Amino acid sequence: MMKHASVVVIGGGIVGSAIAFSLLKMKTKNVCVIEKSYVSSGSTGRCAGGIRQQWSSPMNVKLAMRSVKLFEEFEKDVGMNIEYYQGGYLLLAYTDSEVDDFEKNVRMQKSQGLDVEILTSNQIKEKFPFINVEDIKLGSWCQSDGHANPQLANIAYAIAIRKMGGEFLTHTTVTGIDVQNRQIIGVQTDNGYISTKIVVDAAGFEAPKIGSMIGVDIPVHGERHQILVTEAVNHFLDPLVINFNHNYYVRQTHHGSLMMGQGDANPASGEDLGNTIEFLEEMSEKMIKDFPLLKNIHIVRQWSGAYDMSPDAQPIIDESKDISRFIYATGFSGHGFMLAPAVGESVAEMIIHGQTVTTDVSNLKMDRFTIGIEREHNVV
Amino acid sequence: MKEYDAVVIGGGPAGMAAADVLGDHVKTLILDENDMLGGQLVKQTHKFFGDHVHYASTRGFEIANKFIDKIEKKPVDILTSSTVIGIYPQNTVAYVRNGHEDQVKYKKLIIATGAMERQLPFINSDLPGVYGAGAVQTLMNQYGIFPGKRFLIIGSGNIGLILAYQLAQTGVEVRAIVEALDKIGGYEVHANKAKRLGIPILLKHTIVKAIGDESVQGAIIAEVDDKFNVIAGTEKEIVVDTICISVGLMPITELTEQAKCKIAYIPELGGYVPVRDERMRTTNPDVFVAGDLSSIEEATTAMIEGKLAAMQIVEDVKKIDLEKEISNEIKTLAIFRSGPKSLKIRSGLEKMGIVTPRIEMPKFSPLPNSENGKLHAVIECTEEIPCNSCESACKFDAIKVGENINTPPVFDPLKCTGCAVCVTVCPGLAIFMEKSDESPNATLGIPYEFLPLPKSNEKMWGMDRDGNYVCDLTVKRVVKNPNKTYIVYVDLPKEFVDVVRHVTYPRKENPFVCRCEEITVDQIEKVIDSGITDFEEIKRITRVTMGPCGGKNCKMIILGIISKKTGIPISKLSHGTSRPPVKVVEFSAFLRGDKK
Repeated sequence: MMKHASVVVIGGGIVGSAIAFSLLKMKTKNVCVIEKSYVSSGSTGRCAGGIRQQWSSPMNVKLAMRSVKLFEEFEKDVGMNIEYYQGGYLLLAYTDSEVDDFEKNVRMQKSQGLDVEILTSNQIKEKFPFINVEDIKLGSWCQSDGHANPQLANIAYAIAIRKMGGEFLTHTTVTGIDVQNRQIIGVQTDNGYISTKIVVDAAGFEAPKIGSMIGVDIPVHGERHQILVTEAVNHFLDPLVINFNHNYYVRQTHHGSLMMGQGDANPASGEDLGNTIEFLEEMSEKMIKDFPLLKNIHIVRQWSGAYDMSPDAQPIIDESKDISRFIYATGFSGHGFMLAPAVGESVAEMIIHGQTVTTDVSNLKMDRFTIGIEREHNVV
Repeated sequence: MKEYDAVVIGGGPAGMAAADVLGDHVKTLILDENDMLGGQLVKQTHKFFGDHVHYASTRGFEIANKFIDKIEKKPVDILTSSTVIGIYPQNTVAYVRNGHEDQVKYKKLIIATGAMERQLPFINSDLPGVYGAGAVQTLMNQYGIFPGKRFLIIGSGNIGLILAYQLAQTGVEVRAIVEALDKIGGYEVHANKAKRLGIPILLKHTIVKAIGDESVQGAIIAEVDDKFNVIAGTEKEIVVDTICISVGLMPITELTEQAKCKIAYIPELGGYVPVRDERMRTTNPDVFVAGDLSSIEEATTAMIEGKLAAMQIVEDVKKIDLEKEISNEIKTLAIFRSGPKSLKIRSGLEKMGIVTPRIEMPKFSPLPNSENGKLHAVIECTEEIPCNSCESACKFDAIKVGENINTPPVFDPLKCTGCAVCVTVCPGLAIFMEKSDESPNATLGIPYEFLPLPKSNEKMWGMDRDGNYVCDLTVKRVVKNPNKTYIVYVDLPKEFVDVVRHVTYPRKENPFVCRCEEITVDQIEKVIDSGITDFEEIKRITRVTMGPCGGKNCKMIILGIISKKTGIPISKLSHGTSRPPVKVVEFSAFLRGDKK
């Protein structure tokens, strides 16, 4: 374990890993990631791996489009095939207000240069004959959206970080952060002390716990989301399908299994990573109705993970006003994986240059909560 | 024309046992169509169940040799290569020997012609390469000829199970045993012997078709429903060059019919069987039957029946009182038949008016295996089958079966001295030796009947009860035994002492650890070599334990590999989280009743 680090990243999930990787790629030396468990043990290893650009605010679309660029280069840049597949995203609209939203969003997304289009119910039926299109008014379709294996991506980053000379500590817990005169001087862990002047809090829904060590309040809480995976079947489903109205998403993995989840009516806290039988009941009913061909497919496994929810369901990426060089990237609200490569790049730029260079993420600063918030609608 | 007090037709276990008794008292002839006595015994290379008196733990062909030795010393005329062609009036038996017909007369006749294999209709069942199981045993065990390299066995009765094991012993591949019923027909211990060699037993399956033009090149098998109809869409193809049918035996009754014995159809006994009394006398007072002809069972009961018939003939002809001996044999038969595996036989005999008295079994209460660090036996025999060879072998009173030979053995580890004699006598190869103390490695003794024999310090693979790779292990020593059941003592990680049940030489191809996802040992080791040693991370990279079994089958093995490579004891490794559902379940299972 290194005694001194130029930057300590707390949290070895996809966001922390992407930040450390970007720092090393930008020639920063002595970068250290501290992960309290194994690589991909937290929300990253539990997420479905969707990668989409169809968002409702222009800056989010930009950030997501940058992320897709980086995912396209991931295998070359980071060094592992992470089953990235641009099979598209299909969002389904059932109500007039959804139709209005979709049409407005697609206009905006197109203006940002995204390859998105509206599909009629008939076009959906033609393209995806296995979907029950009953009551579907239209769909929003983006071919360059896709999905990847988040666990592999996380591990790929960890391997690359170690190869590039960074340190990636697992099974190591941060127990305190030393601060003098609002300057960070070091990080205490249960495996030893690392002196550093820069700390990135990428601890997901536990980011507030890290912040509270030095009196920084981060308005994020954990919310449990459940997910399941089926046996592998022959490839038939290209896109990740989101159905806000019926409240689910589903995608087919490279391996052939179908991975799907929903937002529970009364979600448990992120501390409670248990499972419910109701989740299986509800998902089964929806799947059999909307994807009748799945009726006799076997469910292999269910689990749950924590969304790091922010007040407006959008990420919080900022540097603390109170503690110098305490940077946080959290509050991804279920969309951290897909944004991670671009967020990693932006945060690395913030650390090195004091501001972002490639992508503007100023809309994700903390002060938006004091100005008044516009909630991201496109969330399951 | 020669006349004998007793003529025995058929030199299998029943006929030989009869001749052995008759030879001491009356003028006897035994006729057999083969060139030597022994019947099916001559091709049985496995050890027999049963008790000591009836050659338990002795291999079939050795039983035959012992009988032949005994009979040859007695004033018994033996005519081999003699095919009986008919039973004629005036107690006459006609037979052909060396191309010449001849006749003898009898006062009393024992017909012990045994049984033949049932046939199974399927498409192309006439292709060369489709054999009866008995034919394969004869070719292989008697003449040393292999009919093929890849076998499919139809039927999981003892014959099918034993044949699979014997084939595997010779090094050929047994792709599967298929069984139409929902349970294995034969003894559990025989099934276990096959399973630990990796031979799958597919229940509720049958053969639909043999594939090939000139000879068998494959087979189509399929699942069957409760009425044995093939379920459409479940067909799959297996590449094999030989198909062995062992779907049961049926008595060969022609001679009894010709001898004017009444025949009855009693499926529980094997189909058409001669009606006879408790002492094996048919409805013709001069004609007796014994062995598979009277009811399809096994060699031990056949021998007892032969003895019984012979004793009754001695009483009839010589007026010697053998009542005490006869009632002893009847009781012995009843004991053999009192287990659950003999339920069919008992009910079949009841139809004939022969009631087998039930013999109460003592309550089976296995003692916990002692783990006091000494070498001791571990007995894995829980099915009620008629055998007490282990009890007879144990000189230290550590194994109890009791009066009812069907009782599974009760083992007292405190009395066990670790002599391992029981391991070598058990016909089911169901006894192992274990020693596990404070050290991270344990000693396991495994009964072994394969060649070449391993040598000390050789590295081998430990295989589990289903024939899957478990871990690498080292041979410590090999104990040879005259009965050819050797014991291979191996040194292996303590965690696997209850898991490994067979050893095999490392194969060229890499063993699958995770069969759901087809992940090999090599793949896992490579990941570990790259510096990733956390079980959870290995799981995510390779997909081990992520398949339908949820890691039930492979998790321990993977932890063993990690432990071996990293030196961290398994107890200190994280082993992941068990997630529901523990068994895969269809979406449709969650539909409310009205929507199904």
